[in-house]
Amino acid sequence: MSPQPQSAVGAPLSRVDGRLKVTGKAKYAAEHHVDTVVHAVVVDSSVGRGRITGVDTRAALAQPGVLKVISHLNAPKLAYRENGSSNNPPGERLHVFQDDKVHFHGQPVAVVLATTLEAAQHGASLVQVRYDAERPSTDLARAPAHDPVTYARGDADKAMRSAAVRLEMTYRTARTHQNAMEPHATIARWDGNRLTVWDKTQWVGGTQTELAAVFGIPRDAVRVISPFVGGAFGSGLRAWPHVTIAALAARVAGRPVKLALTRRQMYFGTGYRPAYECGVRLGSDRRGRLTAMVHDIKAETSTYEDFQEDVLAAGQMLYSMPNVRQAYRRVPLDVNTPLYMRGPGFATAAHVIESAMDELAHHLGIDPVELRRRNEPAADESTGLPFSTRRLRECYTTGAREFGWQRRNPEPRSTRDGDWLIGTGMAAGVYETVRKAAKARVRLDADGTALVEAATSDMGPGTYTSMTQVAADALGLALRNVTFRLGDTLMPPTPPHSGSMTMASVGSAVQAGSDTVRRQAIKLAVEDVRSPLHGANPGDVVVRGGRLHLKDNPARGETYQRLLSRNERTHLETVGSFEPPSGPERFSLYAYGATFAEVAVDARLGLVRVRRVLGVYDAGRIISPKLADSQALGGIVGGIGTALLEHTVTDHRDGRIVNANLADYLVPVNADVPDLRAIYLEGEDREADPIGVKGLGELVHIGVAPALTNAVFHATGRRIRELPITAEVLL
Amino acid sequence: MSTELNEPVAHPPSASPPGPSRRTFIVTTTAVGGAAVAGGLVTAQPPPGAEETAAAEAAPTSRVTLTVNRKRHTVTIDNRTSLLDLLREHLGLTGSKKGCDAGACGACTVLADGHRVNSCLTLAVRLEGAEITTIEGLADGDRLHPLQQAFIDEDAFQCGYCTPGQIMSGIGCIQEGHTGSEEEIREWMSGNICRCGCYVKIVRAVERAAGGK
Repeated sequence: MSPQPQSAVGAPLSRVDGRLKVTGKAKYAAEHHVDTVVHAVVVDSSVGRGRITGVDTRAALAQPGVLKVISHLNAPKLAYRENGSSNNPPGERLHVFQDDKVHFHGQPVAVVLATTLEAAQHGASLVQVRYDAERPSTDLARAPAHDPVTYARGDADKAMRSAAVRLEMTYRTARTHQNAMEPHATIARWDGNRLTVWDKTQWVGGTQTELAAVFGIPRDAVRVISPFVGGAFGSGLRAWPHVTIAALAARVAGRPVKLALTRRQMYFGTGYRPAYECGVRLGSDRRGRLTAMVHDIKAETSTYEDFQEDVLAAGQMLYSMPNVRQAYRRVPLDVNTPLYMRGPGFATAAHVIESAMDELAHHLGIDPVELRRRNEPAADESTGLPFSTRRLRECYTTGAREFGWQRRNPEPRSTRDGDWLIGTGMAAGVYETVRKAAKARVRLDADGTALVEAATSDMGPGTYTSMTQVAADALGLALRNVTFRLGDTLMPPTPPHSGSMTMASVGSAVQAGSDTVRRQAIKLAVEDVRSPLHGANPGDVVVRGGRLHLKDNPARGETYQRLLSRNERTHLETVGSFEPPSGPERFSLYAYGATFAEVAVDARLGLVRVRRVLGVYDAGRIISPKLADSQALGGIVGGIGTALLEHTVTDHRDGRIVNANLADYLVPVNADVPDLRAIYLEGEDREADPIGVKGLGELVHIGVAPALTNAVFHATGRRIRELPITAEVLL
Repeated sequence: MSTELNEPVAHPPSASPPGPSRRTFIVTTTAVGGAAVAGGLVTAQPPPGAEETAAAEAAPTSRVTLTVNRKRHTVTIDNRTSLLDLLREHLGLTGSKKGCDAGACGACTVLADGHRVNSCLTLAVRLEGAEITTIEGLADGDRLHPLQQAFIDEDAFQCGYCTPGQIMSGIGCIQEGHTGSEEEIREWMSGNICRCGCYVKIVRAVERAAGGK
């Protein structure tokens, strides 16, 4: 930990980019001004599988303003080299406009370029595409699966046979879409063989390597710029086909091209959380000690890529039990490829496990919190490693106390408020602590201000703010004298802005770089005969408010400005690095949480209203408490959507998504959300990374849906094993 | 202050536009509409042949004068242009956001003659003489509107994409007097989706700004 006083880190500060966002000046992908830009609108397939037999572009090209229509009939051939540095799943990504095959409903089949958006939109509607269509396979329940990924310890089947208590359930969760407010958009411009794109992405480096691979050009010939991201929740972790289309169209047109997906196109033009079917068998003794668990998991993927996420880990380490057997099958369907969505894998796993635990608690007549306490492991039973920190018991204790859990009547359907049946439920949550190599450039200028840069992203959690806080404390500067910039491949490389790894990875790089620059300044001072700090022990010098001084004698010191100008240094600069420890992990690294929820269900109408939700988290050190609070409440809101509203509906006859819009795909609105509360346990995880954080963006979403559905069971006495729980289901 | 802005040229200005003139296009569409009404038909399908005719002579433009953030603009625009696209693509005012382009998310909310509207559903050509206020027109120099400040203080946003719409909608909500209780604010702010889920804090921000009025 830093010897520096911590005044910015841990303080409830407002967002440093807040002013830009509330005045409309923050520039999102489609909003960058690029001279001579033309508009592109994608034509998407109206069949779910088959071949394109003709593309009639005459009516479109007759439109004033329409410049070009590009399809597989006239598109240049692209290199589509392998890209090892991407989130592309195993398989082969969609090659846009390279052949006549249609793999899913909505696949891009052409793009119209025009001088105005209106002309491009109308032109796209006039392109007549003829198909030789086949009936697509889109039903998870009916299609055959790939070979499973498996895990086993002990002999789960034998243990199940001898278990005193056996439960067997199947849970189904709907396909859900990230549906961030900003639609995906790309502006592409070629300058000779160099390509610049302004893109909505959570990983400028990933978009860069993908475009380089697709076009067969060197990586450094591609620059990707993305200073603001209007939410993403995972959808920005790949360069989707439209990014290639924008660049391809710009090359063909010889002019910069702006391409924004419509909201409808987001449902098949980007990723989603796949639909799941999860069979679970639980065995326990009469006191609720688990003896065995068996998971049979099926999830959808596309025919051309085998998307997988970590849906198995939680079942292996959340609770103590000697016998576990798991199988995870992906079912290839005529759909576009899924991708990570907030809390990937773990959110689905937690729903299944935490619903099953609630069923077991009810079956045995044991309090759900108590049942979980009885199954707390002493170490990670999947690896045998000790936990770096695991404070789940404290989450239960604090949560139960603050929520008033002990006042709960355990009997389902026992509490009424007029027409409303009232129920409470809880669930645990867990997410791995991920950290990856990252770099950050730190420059301290002679005027006493600092500029810190890293190629990372801020899709909403507050990267701009939290990195500024870390740098300010490490450099000993006031927050207003530090500027953090991100979202450009010209900046030092960072991992994807995902998996809650940004703070741990980029934050540790910012800390390292800032520490180095501060030490450079201290060294300069103690070796400078003209400095009041000359001859001092560098370890005794701290910096506060831009002034270096002795820790025990604040009067002896001088400012950065004075030190640098006297030494004729315009600036001090370094690139700070963070690398996770090499070799095998010595600890089991996870963040934990517990969610408590109260719902009211209209006894006759089946309406579910959320009354209150409390989340308690063991997420390590909290850098930016005000923003962390917002993130937790947002994670809870997302869970309300998953549990009660969100459902991407496919018509299996033709593979069309029938509710591909925000009027029919319901997400929580203000009236769906009551007062919510989040509590972070104080502390840090010294084993996780140099700044002691475990990550929280995923964690706060995990366990919310099962807490709510367990509350619906408690309210109504009805166990609904399918998400979302809509009024129709409860009627 | 006033600016005049012309549509990017769709075809060389020296050449005659292909097909019939704009005037004949309007006459044609009127005749089609009239025929449909006369025949008592309620249909979205134009009669055979109408589509080709319309296509060949598309992109009629209109001249409209409106005030945006106290600045008068006279623009010649494609009749299909929404107020949102006028702001974002023609006037360089990208603060108003396109989230769904279908009136379902509220990210495009602006004030038109003092009332909150979804600018994506509002045709620009219908706004002759209208006074539009967007997020860019709220602050008084460096001094933020109280609701903008309340959004920062309450941390009522994360990604910031819905924020301009939320703030414009919040101003409408306060002016309409729908801030009597948290429930009332929630109800009257439910046309604006925040996918980051900042609703609790949006309500607090609107409450705070309403209280300070």
